[in-house]
Amino acid sequence: MTGQSGTIQAPALEMRGITKRYPGVVANDGISLEVRPGEIHALLGENGAGKTTLMNVLYGLATPDEGQILLDGEPIRIAGPADAIARGINMVHQHFMLVPVLSVADNVLLGEETMANRVFLDRKEAHRRILELGRKFGFEIDPEVKVSALSVGWQQRVEILKALYRNARILVLDEPTAVLTPQETEEIFAVLRRLADQGHSIVFISHKLYEVLAIADRITVIRRGRVVGERRPAETSEDELAELMVGREVQLTVDRGTSHPGRPMLRVSGLEASDDRGHPMVRGVDLEVRAGEILGIAGVAGNGQDELVESIVGLRRPTAGAVTLDGANITGHSPRALNEAGVAYVPADRHRFGLILPFSIADNLVLTSYYRPPYARGVVRDGESIERDARSSVERFDVRTPSVTASAATLSGGNQQKIVVAREFDRELKLLVLDQPTRGLDVGSIEFIHKQVIAKRDAGTAVLLVSAELDEVLEISDRIAVMYGGRIVAVLDGPTADKNDVGLLMATGGTARDGAQIAKASA
Amino acid sequence: MHLSKRLFALGTTTAILISACGGTAATPSPSAAASSAAPSAAASSAAPSAAASSAAPSAAASSAAPSASAVQAPNLKIGVVTDIGTLNDKGYNEYTFKGATDGAMAIGAAAPQSIVPKDASEYAADIKQFVDQKYDIIVTVGFNLTNDTVAAAKANPKIHFVGVDQSPVCVDPQGNPDTTFACKGDAKTLLPNYTSLYFAEDQAGYLAGIVAAYASKNKSIGAIGGTTLCAPCVRYIQGYDMGAKSVTPDIKVTAAYVTNDFSAAAFNDPAGGKAFATTFISTNKPDVLFQVAGKTGNGILEAACQKGIYGIGVDVDQYVSLGAATDPTYGCIITSAEKHVESATSQAIQEIAAGTLSAGDVLFNANNDGIGVSDFHDKASMFGPEVTQALNTALAGMKSGALKTCPATGCGDAKTPLP
Amino acid sequence: MSAPAPAPRARGGVSRARVWSLVAVPLAVIVGSAVLGAAVILLSEPLIPGRQFDPLLWLTAYEAMIQGAIGDPQEWAALDFHSLVSTLVNTAPLVFGGLAVGFGFKAGLFNIGAQGQFLVGALGAVIVGVWLHDAPAPLAIAGATIAGMAFGAAWGFVPGFLKAFAGAHEVVSTIMMNYVAIQLLAALVSGPLKVPRSPQAITFDVGNAAFPVIPFLQPNGHLGILLALIAAVGVWWVLYRTTWGFEVRATGASPDASRYAGMRPRLITVATMTFSGMLAGLAGVCVLLGVTKSMTSSFGTTVGFDSIAVALLARSNPLAIVPAALLFGGMRAGAGLMQIQAEIPAELVDVIQAVILLALVTSPVIRRLLHADTRGSHGTETAASPAAEAAR
Repeated sequence: MTGQSGTIQAPALEMRGITKRYPGVVANDGISLEVRPGEIHALLGENGAGKTTLMNVLYGLATPDEGQILLDGEPIRIAGPADAIARGINMVHQHFMLVPVLSVADNVLLGEETMANRVFLDRKEAHRRILELGRKFGFEIDPEVKVSALSVGWQQRVEILKALYRNARILVLDEPTAVLTPQETEEIFAVLRRLADQGHSIVFISHKLYEVLAIADRITVIRRGRVVGERRPAETSEDELAELMVGREVQLTVDRGTSHPGRPMLRVSGLEASDDRGHPMVRGVDLEVRAGEILGIAGVAGNGQDELVESIVGLRRPTAGAVTLDGANITGHSPRALNEAGVAYVPADRHRFGLILPFSIADNLVLTSYYRPPYARGVVRDGESIERDARSSVERFDVRTPSVTASAATLSGGNQQKIVVAREFDRELKLLVLDQPTRGLDVGSIEFIHKQVIAKRDAGTAVLLVSAELDEVLEISDRIAVMYGGRIVAVLDGPTADKNDVGLLMATGGTARDGAQIAKASA
Repeated sequence: MHLSKRLFALGTTTAILISACGGTAATPSPSAAASSAAPSAAASSAAPSAAASSAAPSAAASSAAPSASAVQAPNLKIGVVTDIGTLNDKGYNEYTFKGATDGAMAIGAAAPQSIVPKDASEYAADIKQFVDQKYDIIVTVGFNLTNDTVAAAKANPKIHFVGVDQSPVCVDPQGNPDTTFACKGDAKTLLPNYTSLYFAEDQAGYLAGIVAAYASKNKSIGAIGGTTLCAPCVRYIQGYDMGAKSVTPDIKVTAAYVTNDFSAAAFNDPAGGKAFATTFISTNKPDVLFQVAGKTGNGILEAACQKGIYGIGVDVDQYVSLGAATDPTYGCIITSAEKHVESATSQAIQEIAAGTLSAGDVLFNANNDGIGVSDFHDKASMFGPEVTQALNTALAGMKSGALKTCPATGCGDAKTPLP
Repeated sequence: MSAPAPAPRARGGVSRARVWSLVAVPLAVIVGSAVLGAAVILLSEPLIPGRQFDPLLWLTAYEAMIQGAIGDPQEWAALDFHSLVSTLVNTAPLVFGGLAVGFGFKAGLFNIGAQGQFLVGALGAVIVGVWLHDAPAPLAIAGATIAGMAFGAAWGFVPGFLKAFAGAHEVVSTIMMNYVAIQLLAALVSGPLKVPRSPQAITFDVGNAAFPVIPFLQPNGHLGILLALIAAVGVWWVLYRTTWGFEVRATGASPDASRYAGMRPRLITVATMTFSGMLAGLAGVCVLLGVTKSMTSSFGTTVGFDSIAVALLARSNPLAIVPAALLFGGMRAGAGLMQIQAEIPAELVDVIQAVILLALVTSPVIRRLLHADTRGSHGTETAASPAAEAAR
């Protein structure tokens, strides 16, 4: 690729034998990493592998217990983010650090103004530099536009602009594509490529294999705080990287097999529901999920999926319409009544809705069943049976934890979701409602959860899957319903659905043919 | 002085206190009052306290003669348990403690120690601290400590207990505190080691009322009490009302109370008192205002001065204690209704040393210089001889018992309407 | 991204760290506050004209305070434990109050109205206690106690109900309820409950309803001390061994997750506030039936507010509330002797208590100071608010 030449250049940045211990955990165990000028270096690892800790060390947010950092061959000590920035090391965080009500120029100047050796900001000069930088790297932007008016992809470019404005030589991007659409991802890659061509060094943190292969010049894989391999994209494959990352062979796509739909299990008719502020969000939805099939709902976030799901699982009272489960009307029933009737629900935000983080794993596993035997006799809880069953669940669902009494907060994201899955899946179910069940998870965990979902389906459970990640819906759904503007605008066959068709339906709400026409017309 | 007691006052009040009470000259013990009042009586219109002491001193007063002649009892240990609040409240707690200090000095004993309870459930435990430390005289301050003091007196017959404002002492036939107020027992014989000092606040209020009536031009005067639950406050105001009407029968007397409970607002909230009084003044348009509300009352006086009307202080000569001579904030004080807690306590201690203190209720009134009104200070020119005359006549009536200064029924009860 | 996955050996380290954080912070806070108290004494000494500067006055003060709280060997030799008993008497209502506030914290509720619930609890006890004053003691005690619990519970129920069904924040409504309680008490004690012949506002004695003195806690260690201990264990049991306690803790830790799990946070809020009010009411019962035995219009203590400090110091753990209350009760008990022997005003106790409270409210900061570099592993989980912090 473009960034490398035949001669080996001295590394712009080198981290040697970095070790960082936290009480009870070695987050980084002798990690070495070198980044050459003009190189895009990917740091690949599962959640919790130690990528973020390593970057915190680089950014001066954590002091390493061992090891050293060299910049242009000179050993340095980084006192904090300000020091790192002064040395030309900049970080673009996963969650943007922008002030939405301020303009692009203001955001770029924010923090910088104190370093300027003058009383007043020279806005004219700032404008000129912002425009110039944009031109140089291929993303011209109006400095006066408010950040809140920008799309997520452009906001990310503002973050990069901020770094460039501070004369960044080394740019660290933490999961930069997590929030981007496929098109935006391609655009940002182009920007990064140009930056590298002009001599900037880029550390690209990710756990998405195809992205890493597409953009990086070199890939360092870390697992459990250690470097387990260094590869060039040309010399490796997704399968090999996945194996390095997870530590065993992984199946990247689950074989969904064939479904054998039975009787209709969930039927939603004429359902209408409003959000908390009273705006109608679901405007007459009819759908049916049969026993033994997975119905995926695809849609751009905010088209009523949340309200639809909440209405089905009893968290929101629909304003009109009916929900029946296996022939029985369950409209407006409480979450607990539905739970007892065989409905399981995996909410999108496991930290907020799925788990009580400070509670133990055992307590989280009985969050919906704590009140009934064998976990309680009368009002008295039976700690022994709770822990016994927890130990068995932890084993069967492969939750990596030293003890079931450890708090859920101490677990990695994948293990946390496994607890939710263990709790919700591990009983006789009629209906399983999944809202973004693999969001933010690593490959290994995604594989595991998808397998569990398919096993549940094959056991005769009706599965309703809602996900903003189109890939996921396409991968495991037997049928796909596209939701747009509070309505189901199309229902497609899962295995044969075309990604672009579904994408257009999500974006426009039109039929596939309409969408194709729109696409043709705009071309 | 007992300075450590002021550790946390950090000088906010020290200067005033020293000027008010530092030397014997300012102490309203009868002897001192006589000496200090004499010049002022000669110089201008006779000060009422001078009138009080110039009348035949009572037996009680004479026993509290100059300290040189007091019975010496240097081994007595004296402890004071105050009511909730702070020691430097410029009221009860403070003047009782000062009286105890004076008394201790007079008999040559060590300076007294004090405990300030944090809340009502602590009274008994705090009294017990002194008992355990083998104190000989324990002074408790305020009605709220009555039952615990009586119980302690019964349990410790060898210790002298002096209660301030705990009358009437009410015990059952066994000498236990009688919470039903049947009062079948005779406290004097059952508890010979317990004395309750109480005051005829209505008499002091009556005298202040006379002064107020002469000072008023629009025939409208007011009074503000701390709380309806404080019977002495109510008696002050009832006497004030009767005294004013004895001068000007058709004068309008308006009374109000800051609160109905014993919260800080009643006696410990100058800012609240100021706000309350400002409203009171603009509503009722009095041109003299009498405060009976402790520190809250300081705010009341401030409001009066700011609104350009006269103020009357309470318990001690507040013209002096608040430094009105130099501080215009309180410059409008014309006099104060005095209750000589300090000298009463000091006398009681000296009498215990001499073995002459009688048990049971001991009243401090006009007869033993237990009450009075303060000198007019810079306002003396406002008042002609007829004012002094009226005050002396009233005092004489009080001493003879002919003059009633409180309603026959409902004295001390705020629900009794002013006549 | 989340914290690094714990290595297998994590357990021992984590639990040691946990014990450290449980004990170290309160300990640091207490020691720090005592040092600050000593500094206040030293600094204010020179401000007093005429007083001989005594560089060890603070030592005298603390010595006296400790002696007042636990007694001295001479007394112990004579089997006289009255100082210790008086500490226990001061501790009992703080245990109830601390449990009340702590239980609220566990459910994510800040019951700042313990004071009002305390007052009405005492009011209930005095009303029924006076009524049953010549009934058989067990009946009179039970009646007065239950009345006090019911009054306190009612005082907690109202803000709980308002919070759950009208969205009124419990901090505001419980403060309001405090004022209502003060006025109600004053009105009743100076009105219908007043002894008719008494010149001052005071109620009759509760007679047989008074808590008896426990034989081995002479002279004044009453039944309430025992009840407080039972309550601490009981509340711990409720919180950690019953399904309802689980719901309370779950709601406190994450209202959203508990709703998703099928719990009913509103009902739990109401029940929690009611239960919390009942416990605070018991504190009032404890003072009234155990100590004052009748009520004057000046009845009122700072128990309700001190309880907040107790609950924070104990981080709401019902069993830890007992030692925390002992500390505060002991300081209170020792304050008397401190005033006598060191001539230090009782306000010093307030200063120390205030510093403790202040330090606890800022305890996330202190925790960070104690082990500065835990960002990324545990530091990120530090809760923002003291209430949430205490709820752990």
